[in-house]
Amino acid sequence: MEATTTLTLTTVMVISPWLFETPLLGSLAGRVPGIFFGLPLVALASLIFAATHHEDPAQIRLATVHWTVWLGGMLGMVLAAVLLLGWLQ
Amino acid sequence: MGRNAEPQPSRIVAISPDDGSAIDLRNAAFAAVLSWAVPGLGQLYQGRTTKGSLFMAAILTTFVLGLWLGGGKVVYASWKPGDTRWAFVCQAGAGLVAMPAVVQSAKLLGPARQPLLLNGFMAPPLAPGQYVSRSYADRLARHDADIRPDDFFDKPPLKQFRRDQLAQWHRQLGKFFEIGTLYTMLAGMLNLLVIYDAWAGPLGPSEDEKKRRAAESATTTVSTAATQPAS
Repeated sequence: MEATTTLTLTTVMVISPWLFETPLLGSLAGRVPGIFFGLPLVALASLIFAATHHEDPAQIRLATVHWTVWLGGMLGMVLAAVLLLGWLQ
Repeated sequence: MGRNAEPQPSRIVAISPDDGSAIDLRNAAFAAVLSWAVPGLGQLYQGRTTKGSLFMAAILTTFVLGLWLGGGKVVYASWKPGDTRWAFVCQAGAGLVAMPAVVQSAKLLGPARQPLLLNGFMAPPLAPGQYVSRSYADRLARHDADIRPDDFFDKPPLKQFRRDQLAQWHRQLGKFFEIGTLYTMLAGMLNLLVIYDAWAGPLGPSEDEKKRRAAESATTTVSTAATQPAS
């Protein structure tokens, strides 16, 4: 399954660059604030960090949630501070 | 073991922080190289299939998603003055998926003056005054909506680009150029952790986690001693 996934992803990337130009991005550009594109990155960083600190899948899941809350919380506080500063000006 | 038996090669073993079991890392250096080449492949080589497939799916998906968000244009290798692509240093951490950019750049700047893949995939943007082959210039003019035939000066046997293709890409993609770059950079950088995991095993729990476990263990010991009848 892993080999199939890898092969599929590699094939999509290498042979079909025209796949990357879709109308979907045009419709997303104005409607979705850029900040929401950061959420998957927070989840990814938490997952990789958790998985490199544990071996057991259950522990990895728990640690992923732990780090997502921490990372999201810290970034959320920074965002709140920036928004507050902008509102005060 | 007999007198003439071959000595067993030493195995590199890590200890799981979760249950204390041994993790056979096999040839750790080779596993690290595999994990660079394809994220998670080193873990699969070591028999850690769950983690290997998790890393492979997560990092490759993020990289391809970033490439898609960036219109296929955010991963390229360039060392030209004025367009030194430092982001590629991080993107290269994702392994072989980013290496076509090196080939494309080398061919475009070499004697051929055209990338290996003429559709320009992972090729660096053309700078003002850059010389390219006639076939590549003609192909760009045919397939790229932002490029016209008169954007090139005719300098036989080559053609010289008049405009700034990187500026065109930023205009065309808007914020998605930066978002795509960020996704691909993060995929590459997180793969460094994966490479370390393949080389040395899990990093282990943090100091806070160790203290918590020690406290829990001490509490359990005290409770067990309190409930045991006096001998």
